[in-house]
Amino acid sequence: MNAVDLHRKLERNSGLLIFGILFVSAIGGLVQVLPSVLQDDLVTPGPGTQPYGPVQLAGRDLYIREGCSTCHSQQVRPLLAEVKRYGPYSKAGESAYDRPFLWGSKRTGPDLHRIGGKYTDVWQRMHLLDPRSVVPDSIMPGYPWLAERAADADGSIQSKMRALRRLGHPYTDADIEAAPAALAGLKEVDALVAYLQALRAPPAEITP
Amino acid sequence: MSDALSFAVLTRLVTQPMAVFKALSKSTPDGHRVFFQLIVPLSLIPPVLAYVGGATFGWRLGGGEPLMMPARSLTLISLAYFFALVFGLVSSAAVSTWMAATYGAQRAFGTHLALAGLVATPVILASAAHLAPHVFVNMLVLIPALIWSLYLLYRGLPEALGIPPERGMLMASALAAYLLVAIVSLLGITVVLWSGGIGPAIGV
Amino acid sequence: MADRTSGERYHDRVASWLTAFAMAWSIVGMLAGVYVAAELVWPTIDFGREWLSYGRLRTLHTNAVIFGFGVSALMGTAFYSVQRTCHVPLFAPRLAWFCALAWQVGVLAGGISLLAGWNGGKEYAELEWPFDIAITVVWVCFAIVFFGTIARRRIKPIYVSNWFYGGLIIVIAMLHLVNSLAIPVTLSKSYSLFAGAQDAIVQWWYGHNAVGFLLTGGFLGMLYYFLPKHAGRPIWSYRLSIVAFWAFTYSYIWAGPHHLHYNAVPEWVQSLGMVMSLVLLAPSWATMVNGVMTVAGAWQKLRTDPALKFIVLSLAFYGLATFEGPMMSIKSVNVVSHFTDWTIGHVHSGALGWNAMITFGAFYFLVPRLVGASLYSVRLANIHFWLALAGTMLYVLAMWGAGVSQGLLWLSLDEIGELSFSFKDIMASMAPYYALRLVAGIIFLAGALLMAFNLAMTGKGRRTVAASPPAVGVEGP
Repeated sequence: MNAVDLHRKLERNSGLLIFGILFVSAIGGLVQVLPSVLQDDLVTPGPGTQPYGPVQLAGRDLYIREGCSTCHSQQVRPLLAEVKRYGPYSKAGESAYDRPFLWGSKRTGPDLHRIGGKYTDVWQRMHLLDPRSVVPDSIMPGYPWLAERAADADGSIQSKMRALRRLGHPYTDADIEAAPAALAGLKEVDALVAYLQALRAPPAEITP
Repeated sequence: MSDALSFAVLTRLVTQPMAVFKALSKSTPDGHRVFFQLIVPLSLIPPVLAYVGGATFGWRLGGGEPLMMPARSLTLISLAYFFALVFGLVSSAAVSTWMAATYGAQRAFGTHLALAGLVATPVILASAAHLAPHVFVNMLVLIPALIWSLYLLYRGLPEALGIPPERGMLMASALAAYLLVAIVSLLGITVVLWSGGIGPAIGV
Repeated sequence: MADRTSGERYHDRVASWLTAFAMAWSIVGMLAGVYVAAELVWPTIDFGREWLSYGRLRTLHTNAVIFGFGVSALMGTAFYSVQRTCHVPLFAPRLAWFCALAWQVGVLAGGISLLAGWNGGKEYAELEWPFDIAITVVWVCFAIVFFGTIARRRIKPIYVSNWFYGGLIIVIAMLHLVNSLAIPVTLSKSYSLFAGAQDAIVQWWYGHNAVGFLLTGGFLGMLYYFLPKHAGRPIWSYRLSIVAFWAFTYSYIWAGPHHLHYNAVPEWVQSLGMVMSLVLLAPSWATMVNGVMTVAGAWQKLRTDPALKFIVLSLAFYGLATFEGPMMSIKSVNVVSHFTDWTIGHVHSGALGWNAMITFGAFYFLVPRLVGASLYSVRLANIHFWLALAGTMLYVLAMWGAGVSQGLLWLSLDEIGELSFSFKDIMASMAPYYALRLVAGIIFLAGALLMAFNLAMTGKGRRTVAASPPAVGVEGP
């Protein structure tokens, strides 16, 4: 049966057409995406990569809430100029605890994967609340409301950690027990700063 | 046709554009003559101005210090600029000649080449802004010129090639598509050459 | 036969309402786009309000134009055209109404949730899990109505526009279901089932093919119905459309990883993504040629039909975008273009030049027929055409300028091998391009507003009560 006849059959039978579309469009996913999802070493934590502590985790969820990744990538490419500008390039194992990944697709502002430790907590705080107080030319929005609300206002940190534990993040009962105390009294901006300061290359990478 | 290539005509292009295109449709200019008398001189204007502006003031890209390039780089860039313009105009004319059969238009290459030159004229004259090599100034001047050129393309093409305006609209859109693809290809080629090590150093 | 069909009418009111909703979403979405563009020029115009903040408003912009404008337009034109290409009224018309209205409620509530900060964090799939479930329900109903209508068709061969609409429904369902897999924590928060590099590969399999099967394939369905209608002649080569459809459906799905060049995903995934992206040029341009040749034989129609101009122009930008995309997937181009505004320009050459223009073309055709009146003002439609053309051109040029300079300046080294420019200086130098982009956006939005006015007046000025045409034998494809 040649291709034209095959198609004539497909275009006269809606069930076959549906099946044909599903089959043809699924091949790429099955051959390319499925093996990657089954390849464990892509999500094996690299040396020195730890799950986020409760404060950093709360900060990361704020980073997602405010849409920071629309303008900031977290992915240093293995290019000379990028390694010079940002630091050691990003490896798959570093993102093993990232749900979702936040590599981003646009750098209106700079990459942040190695931002941790480059500025003080005070600078980061001022910059988040009013970027132009420290970088006059900045076009980043300010986030004054982060200073007003408690970091775990809805008290969800323990359910978050339990959900992540079900997905394989190695939190102990003691970790989860201690989480609310770690966040007590912190404002949202503190959590976000803690997360940003944690964005750095694994220790093995920094000491040559 | 010789008068269609003089600077007097360029001023008429501003005052009575359609008359210029009508005149073009009534003559069949020789391709070689159009090339040397119109395309080459027109294509020389922007690179020369860019060279003078860049050498005197340096390019300002924004907030930072003006970018002063060594004379050799500047010469190379200006030369590349010139050849890109010539290539753009000639290839557009070639594509337009090739499409003429489909749209039932005049098929003399010289006519299409002269059309390409005339349509590009506003942008090329606006390149006087290169003398003030600041990106913002250049954009302010070149963008209206570009819109003017686009207008000339859609209005002038059917007039010059002797086809109904509806058909001309189709052909002009096809040409605009070609131009966009050509520009983006040029961007792509520049970037590939650049990341391949030709031109100023980049760290890849 | 006559007995069975007497009294049957095409269900066009649901298509009319979807058209009106799509128009409304286009204004909302583009307005949000213009506002975020302005925020990049004047960063303080969010006035310290959370819901006006760039990160939230930009997400609303993309969701309102893709899911509000895009999907409503596709659903409306699918309902309109599937009845006419199958010669039967819609299957389960009440379900069709449910789809249309539930979708609007979903996008509206979803948009509000985005402004409130409910964000899943995956691009173009930001809506949180309650909305993911709602989307799935509506989508299944959409599939039931669409394929149910096809199953009852009175014309044996299924017309090509329906394959593309069908591909849209099936493939988007598959992508959405897999990419949205997550464990809910609270009403507004969930964690993805996939982590890190695997999440990246799944997300861009989704993200790229949402562009592929919704913004490209779905709208090709629109093209294959409305272009021959406008032109009053069949598609130039039916065989080419068949070949292009299958090649498109097969090869698009592989191309996602070109969003992850030089990222921490396996080399073979990146290379395969690049090769398949280049292959994709062939079916894309085959479709463009098919469209151009169809119009070329009917140019006289341009005199009486202002809408056909939009379709012609949409084909030009379709050609540009489908050429630019494969080019940007080449690794040595991508190394410069990735993370820059060039990507934004590329998206908009497709979104403004192709998706919006072809929809405008379809609506200028559709609305007068749906309301039973002639277009209120052809002159306004012509002005809209020029605004749309100028707006798109300026947008694309501004982003080319911005993107190429970002890419090169970020990477450039001086003679002793140090970085030539600080990130801050490069960012500051974007101001003129961002200003030009804002102007371009305003011009395009102004055109869309003119259209909304024109179509609203057309609806108001109808001479006869809108009557759905009888179901049989009126118009074939």
